[in-house]
Amino acid sequence: MTDDHTHDPADHGAGYGQEAGPLYGVLAEYDTPGELLEAARKVRDAGYTEFDCYSPFPVHGLDEAMGIKRTILPILIFVGGFTGTCGGLLLQWWCNAYNWPWNISGKPAWSIPANVPIAFESTILIAVFTSFFGMWILNKLPQAWHPFFRNERFNHVTDDAFLLGIEARDQRFDAEVTPKLLEAAGAIGVEKVHLDPDPASRHMPKWITAFIVASTAFALIPFAIAAKARTSHSTEPHLHIFPDMDFQPKYKSDQPMDLFGDGRSNRGELVGTVARGSLNADDVFYRGLEHSEAGEQWTTGFPRQLEINEQLVKRGKNRFEIYCAPCHGYDGRGMGAVPQRVAATGGVWLARNLVDVSNPVSITMPNGQLFNTISNGYNTMMGYAAQLSHADRWAIVLYVRALQRSQNASLDDVPPDHRSGMQMPEAPTR
Amino acid sequence: MSALQKSLHPDEKYKAGKLGHSLQRIGLGIAAVFLVISLVLGATHGDHWKRFLYSYVVAWSYIFSICVGVFWLVLLHHLVRGRWATVVRRIAEAMSMAFPIVFVAGLGFIIPLVAGYQDLYYWAHPDAHDPEINHTLVHKLGWLSPGFFAFRYVVYGALYTAMATYFIRKSREQDGNGDPKISEKLRIASAPAMIVYALITCFAAFDILMSMAPKWYSTIYGVSFWGSACVGGFAALALMVLGIQRTGRLTHSINSEHYHDIGKWMFAFTFFWAYTAFSQFMLQWYGNLPEETVWYKYRLFGDWQWVSIAILVGFFAFPFVFLMSRWTKRIVPSLVFFAVWQLVFHWLDLYWNVMPSYDWQTTFHGAAQIVTGPLTGNTAYHHVGFSPVDITVWISMIGVLLAGFGRNLHGNLIPVKDPTLGLSLAHENL
Repeated sequence: MTDDHTHDPADHGAGYGQEAGPLYGVLAEYDTPGELLEAARKVRDAGYTEFDCYSPFPVHGLDEAMGIKRTILPILIFVGGFTGTCGGLLLQWWCNAYNWPWNISGKPAWSIPANVPIAFESTILIAVFTSFFGMWILNKLPQAWHPFFRNERFNHVTDDAFLLGIEARDQRFDAEVTPKLLEAAGAIGVEKVHLDPDPASRHMPKWITAFIVASTAFALIPFAIAAKARTSHSTEPHLHIFPDMDFQPKYKSDQPMDLFGDGRSNRGELVGTVARGSLNADDVFYRGLEHSEAGEQWTTGFPRQLEINEQLVKRGKNRFEIYCAPCHGYDGRGMGAVPQRVAATGGVWLARNLVDVSNPVSITMPNGQLFNTISNGYNTMMGYAAQLSHADRWAIVLYVRALQRSQNASLDDVPPDHRSGMQMPEAPTR
Repeated sequence: MSALQKSLHPDEKYKAGKLGHSLQRIGLGIAAVFLVISLVLGATHGDHWKRFLYSYVVAWSYIFSICVGVFWLVLLHHLVRGRWATVVRRIAEAMSMAFPIVFVAGLGFIIPLVAGYQDLYYWAHPDAHDPEINHTLVHKLGWLSPGFFAFRYVVYGALYTAMATYFIRKSREQDGNGDPKISEKLRIASAPAMIVYALITCFAAFDILMSMAPKWYSTIYGVSFWGSACVGGFAALALMVLGIQRTGRLTHSINSEHYHDIGKWMFAFTFFWAYTAFSQFMLQWYGNLPEETVWYKYRLFGDWQWVSIAILVGFFAFPFVFLMSRWTKRIVPSLVFFAVWQLVFHWLDLYWNVMPSYDWQTTFHGAAQIVTGPLTGNTAYHHVGFSPVDITVWISMIGVLLAGFGRNLHGNLIPVKDPTLGLSLAHENL
């Protein structure tokens, strides 16, 4: 930038426009950040307070040179972070331990280590929000317009210009003395900056205000709709935003269909046919049924295909603990995690006590009937034929028998060399 | 003050002179005296040197980790073209040159291991080969065998030494010819060096510390060790710089701005260590797998729980809250207090990592129970059992470390012709 005003602080206040309004302040440009620092120190020492420095990057030591107090932002951030910690813990306590305690695999509803990650994240979140928005607020940002923008020198402030501006409202400001001070501090250019002569143009244009108000109101519409929906009822069907996904050209099970004589879309098995490998002729193994003189009845033994050994019991235990224990419990007493959880919320969920001698339905039930119950379900219990193979269902029957025996065992059932120090526990009751 | 660049103060004493020699003498003196005391205590402990060797591993890991922490600053400073640390970089480089001595000192537990000592690492015990009681451990024994272990130890030592030597040698070369291209070369070298450094640091932690409980595992263990190591490294750097300044050297070049940044790193790694240590704890605690939780079970009940709490409060909570403030890092006595504090707790952290394995094996006389051990109920074996040999070996090793620091502390204490020196001298925190 060529500069011939160095010795005579020219009155170039008009800036982009030609007319000059009231004097806003004086703007001085310095060559290096170091000189800016020196100038700031001199201006501060001269007693000015209404001034600011403008540079393309942070200049170390400038705050001190300008006599600016250390920011209180760190304290605000600490308070914000601490609020986040407490808030995060409070939220989790209120949700998990107070308002809606929920039994998840027997874990405690309130436990500090589990809450640390959330508390940590909320600490960071609130601290960062405080930091970010606190910085904006303390710096009086966003500032869309500043009178110094009217000066051409100011255009370079984001590239290579180091500027110092003193505002005319400063008590010590003097249109003659102040520019000389800046010049004496080594300025390569000092200029007076005037406000626009038209007072109306010094304020934000009305259309911007109107736009902000309108867009804010527009942004609130979804919230208003959600708020209305929360307090009202509607018999209208859902809004279909993607109808081709909601209504696809295909049939689902049990939908009507004109193509076939029976009017159904389901194509079931044809009468008198069996799919390959699905004959399942052995009634004992596949259905738990025995045929004798007296007719059809539940088998009391096990199918001859299965070898009854410890391995099969272990397989049955494994399957039982996956599929049965959630309701019947690991001990078969009918108080698994699901009944416990329902009970904790005041409901009732009945699962049969499989080992109860006082109501020995399951104990006296023939093996075949137990197998049938596992396969096809009973009352509210679903059948497990889809999840468990026939052999696995028999393994469960075997394990249930073992469970019934062990849960009602006496000391005589224990081999003599294992009896020392053993006590019979009280059987838990429902 | 105002300039962004500064040149070295004309009266600055930046030559080490006899400083290194005296430090070496003092260090070796301490090491020798306390080693003798430790040998006497170890021999009379009545467990065939076991306690001595366990203390030795703790103390050796301590000095090793401090070198790891300090060397990281050297690598990082080059990698990111750092500026502030140029004035302390030569000191950090010289401290990193303790690696060869540290690795020679480590032969104190490597040689017995190779010679067939069984009670230090359980995987070196014949029981570890019994698939009946260690059916998972036997698969790790290819990696965890004394010969291969010692080989890796040598590789780690050679790589650390080679890297540290390269960086200080090139840096000294620049002192002579002032070639700015050397800085560029070191920057290029620092990237692969950082990768090698990260890998060998992790593996060294896995091998030397984590394999103390060979059936337990945690993939973040190496990172967590490194975090703790960097706390120790920066604390040691702060004390070293202060010690050098006390001798009248570097009094103009290093000021509270640089201490502030060392303190910031110490603060950052205090939190980083806590973050990783908690990550390791929480996943294993929540996952609740016996082979993982047993490690914490031992440390969170009985006497060890008080050590755990002491580490949580002393190594994390207290320094975290206080180092957060600006003044605690800028006022040198306060920074020194926290540096010493963290150096003590860094040792306690390593002690807490290693020593429970000693108790565990002592109680069960190194047999099957170590691995299968009772997981519930019994708290009789949770005792800490501090021994004087823990402390004397530690002091002896600190002597070794000081001798290692002194070994390369000659010539210039500042990289006098580094292109970034001016920026570092003028460094200011915003």
